[in-house]
Amino acid sequence: MSALSSAVELGRRRLKARRVGVGVTRPGFVWAAPATVFFLLFAILPLVLVAVLSFTSWDGITSPHFNGLANWTTLFHDPVMTQSIWLTLLLTVLGVVTQTPISILLGVWAAGPQRNRAVLSAIFFVPLLLSATAVSVLWRALLDPNFGIPGQLPWLFGNGNLLGSQSGSIAVLTFVGMWQFTPLHALLYQGGARAVPQVLYQAAAIDGAGTVRQFFHITLPQLRNTMITSVILMVVGGLTTFDTVLILTQGGPGTDTTVSAYYMYEQGFKNFDFGAGSAIALVLVVVATLISLAVVRLSGYDKMRSTTEGIS
Amino acid sequence: MDSLRVRIRSGASRNRFAAIAATTTLVLGLTAACGSSGGSTSGSADSGTIHVLVYGDSGNTVEQQIVDTFNKTSKVKAVLYTIPGADYQSKLNTIINTPQAPDIFFNWGGGSIAPYVKDNLLLPLDSMIAKDPGLKDNFLPSVFNTAVVDGKSYGIPMRGTQPVLLFDNKQVLASAGLSVPQTWNDLLGDVAVLKAKGITPIALGGGDQWPTQMWFEYIYDRVAGPGLFEQALAGDKAAWSSPDSVKALGMVKQLVDAGAFGSNFDSVKFTDGGSPALLAKGRAAFELMGSWEYSTEQSSDPDFAKNGLGWSAFPAIPGGKGDPADIVGNTNNFYSVLKKTQHPDAVAAFLKLMYSDEFVQAQLAIGNLPTTTNTPTFLSTSASPGYSQFQFNLVKAAPSFQLSWDQAYPPAATTTIHTAVQEFFDGKTDTNGFIQAMQSLATS
Repeated sequence: MSALSSAVELGRRRLKARRVGVGVTRPGFVWAAPATVFFLLFAILPLVLVAVLSFTSWDGITSPHFNGLANWTTLFHDPVMTQSIWLTLLLTVLGVVTQTPISILLGVWAAGPQRNRAVLSAIFFVPLLLSATAVSVLWRALLDPNFGIPGQLPWLFGNGNLLGSQSGSIAVLTFVGMWQFTPLHALLYQGGARAVPQVLYQAAAIDGAGTVRQFFHITLPQLRNTMITSVILMVVGGLTTFDTVLILTQGGPGTDTTVSAYYMYEQGFKNFDFGAGSAIALVLVVVATLISLAVVRLSGYDKMRSTTEGIS
Repeated sequence: MDSLRVRIRSGASRNRFAAIAATTTLVLGLTAACGSSGGSTSGSADSGTIHVLVYGDSGNTVEQQIVDTFNKTSKVKAVLYTIPGADYQSKLNTIINTPQAPDIFFNWGGGSIAPYVKDNLLLPLDSMIAKDPGLKDNFLPSVFNTAVVDGKSYGIPMRGTQPVLLFDNKQVLASAGLSVPQTWNDLLGDVAVLKAKGITPIALGGGDQWPTQMWFEYIYDRVAGPGLFEQALAGDKAAWSSPDSVKALGMVKQLVDAGAFGSNFDSVKFTDGGSPALLAKGRAAFELMGSWEYSTEQSSDPDFAKNGLGWSAFPAIPGGKGDPADIVGNTNNFYSVLKKTQHPDAVAAFLKLMYSDEFVQAQLAIGNLPTTTNTPTFLSTSASPGYSQFQFNLVKAAPSFQLSWDQAYPPAATTTIHTAVQEFFDGKTDTNGFIQAMQSLATS
């Protein structure tokens, strides 16, 4: 064990040494080869193919033939496409806004030493074990207007037409997403909160800070990096929301919840227009990349430092 | 210090070797996998098998039985493959022009095979029929013609016919003092009475969208006759803006505005059992649904299916151009044959089983209604003789049997049609919006 840690320490020093120009060789390219090959094969190659397909007309049966910019001009004049991007962004923002506070509170609570904590945490984390499909089917049944929860609580849900209006459908998608993903993020925050050095709390307690102040002035700032990780995961998840939409709303009513990922699926695998589907996929890639870059820049994720630096 | 460095280096080279080995294995594994899957199909075709691809559901027992019967006498063996229901069309589409494509596949005729005919993938069956006229003569013509594209036959009916009927809950109607509506005004009258009693007059699984479409199909047929839709399908987009079309839409609107479907139908689905349960539990009085409603109710509430479920033809609309005996729905399912099949004679022999006595009896026993000319002989053996007889007479007497709109148009049109019918029911689209949506459909 100690031999290993000293070896790791040595490795670190070697890296630092290399940076300042002392000639020690770095691990070769071969170390990264498997990952690189997989990335090229399963990420870059399909991306290039999709880019090519977006300039073709292809029904998935005969060979694709080039039709120039036709898919793109259609797409830019397609109100459903524009709407789908806004819907995707809206669902993403709603996801972050609803899931973050609950995950932080749950995670920080679960990191504590209370009794029953382990048992209750295990219960809270159950949704994490269910597939998105199972979760969607479950809520679809629970929200049936006649035989589900809304049918029992008419004073709260009115006629129960949750999936029959745009606002209702978006609320349902947000709620189901929250139910499904909060446990994952709570788990991240639990880990983050456990890593906060106890000395900080002890010092704060000596200075007379109560639990609430400790939370806002120690826990939250210390969780900054966890928060960034969690938000990035939520944003990526939100931008690719698909399975819940497929099962709960099928993009409906009408096209009211047709998010970009679902619209792509619809064009490709329901309308058999893979050219148009590919164009949407590419738009989604560009939008998602821009947003990720923005998040990384704004949050300082790219030059992230350990929050414990200077303490030990 | 030095010894440590040596340790790290040797570790590195070991890992490098392991990495290369792992990568090689993976790449080899991938190529091997691709190779074998491609090879097996072509290999088995040579060794004398025909592959039969079918929509996967509870009806597959009969398909398997027929395949077994065929294999008893045939040298070329048939192998049955099933694809779970909801994904059938998309999966079929992804394999149909690959080496994995089957020899024979299940479809709905009409628009569901038109793209494959256009791409020259299907075998016209006319020469088979010339050799054995029974392949055509043993089926009801209105059904057989659904799989005729550009004057050539591309499908042999299999499974059963599925007309759309107006189902009702007999007890609900009796306690409200109502009878089954014969005309449009009867229906509107029933709606008013039921609504006053706090019962949803008509259950509708609007979340699935295609049940909503059935109302358009029938009302258009009754108001304008089958010609309007046929013209539109043939490319005459003006048909959608004709006065008859506008009148039909007005009547749809009238029914929705009368509260016939309640207010939360878009949150209800047929496919998850929502709307059939409304009917079975007496919370709704009617449901317009394909003939599979019977087996759906039977599996969830056998007692209701047996004693409480009523059925009738869609009401007449006086003054309309359509014959009240016209029906709409899924005409039938069909087996079509791929051009590339290497055993056309075996395929022909297999297709002949689709009008055999064994086939008809097996289908009737699971509640399907075949449309062969020998079906009436066996109707008394069906799971529900009265119901089967009613349907068979209805289909036989129908001057026109309109294939569901989303099956008649090529698959690419489905989403547009479904969105249009749903938004029209919601009031999100008006008459002009609906007409424009239908005119935007590609017809070829």
